[in-house]
Amino acid sequence: MDNDSPTPGDTEIVERVVAGDVHAFEHLLRKYQNHVLILLKKHLPYDQIEETAQDVFIRAYRALPTFRGESSFKQWLSTIAVRACYDFWRKHYQSRELPMSSLTEKHRVWLEEAISAQSSQSFHEQSLQKEAREILDWALDRLSAADRMVLELVYLEGYSLRETADLLGWSITNVKVRSFRSRKKLYKLITQAIPG
Amino acid sequence: MNPPKTEHEALQAILKKAYRQKENVAVGDQWQQEVMRRVRNLGALETTPSFPEMLEQLVWQLAPVTCLLIFGLTVLFAVSDFTSGYEVFQLLMNGAEELTFAQFVGL
Repeated sequence: MDNDSPTPGDTEIVERVVAGDVHAFEHLLRKYQNHVLILLKKHLPYDQIEETAQDVFIRAYRALPTFRGESSFKQWLSTIAVRACYDFWRKHYQSRELPMSSLTEKHRVWLEEAISAQSSQSFHEQSLQKEAREILDWALDRLSAADRMVLELVYLEGYSLRETADLLGWSITNVKVRSFRSRKKLYKLITQAIPG
Repeated sequence: MNPPKTEHEALQAILKKAYRQKENVAVGDQWQQEVMRRVRNLGALETTPSFPEMLEQLVWQLAPVTCLLIFGLTVLFAVSDFTSGYEVFQLLMNGAEELTFAQFVGL
């Protein structure tokens, strides 16, 4: 996460929007659309990215009067985006009707090779990222929304516990415990999927 | 089967790399226009606080006064000769025939 100080330009634009200049919001949208998209692409299914991106900016617009400039606008917007992702997964898990995807024999063989590879670097170069992504999606699909978000932020993206706690609005202890448990669950899922 | 730490690390590196691949997905550029259309429809932002917000502010402003009042009443009851409802009830039940109204109210 960026810890940059509040940008004066952003604060001025926010003040203009709050004062009633609705069109000034477009500056913020154009400036941070890529940042939000990158964030959403990592957390959401492809077909949900555009809709959620819209939702993030609308939420941000509505919440602008509460922006105090204590953190940078980018950081504030990231919090809204991460919480929108979490909300998406919570709703998705609650209303899930379709059966979850399962691993094929090809995936299982790939997984066995990946784990037993002596040099992970050489394996990276040779392996098919498509399989890796499918296995990761398969495993993440079996975690709860909260475990999924914590695992993605801490384990896969490398955010610190404090940054993750700020993004999700949770306590550090909660993030710490969830991070440990979700990682354990992930390894259990993956190791159980390995043949033999 | 539990993979040892080095295998954990290898697997983590592979999963991280796979995870980052998602950044390369192409997204359309129509959604920004839709955001601005919705923002224009929403109109200018309300800066005056809503009724629940005003109520919340009022509650917090009155909180110190309420605390002082509670403290004051507690002290008052502690130092005065307070007769509980139960004791009044007992008094009525035990000697109701001898008790006049004047005695009851303490005159």
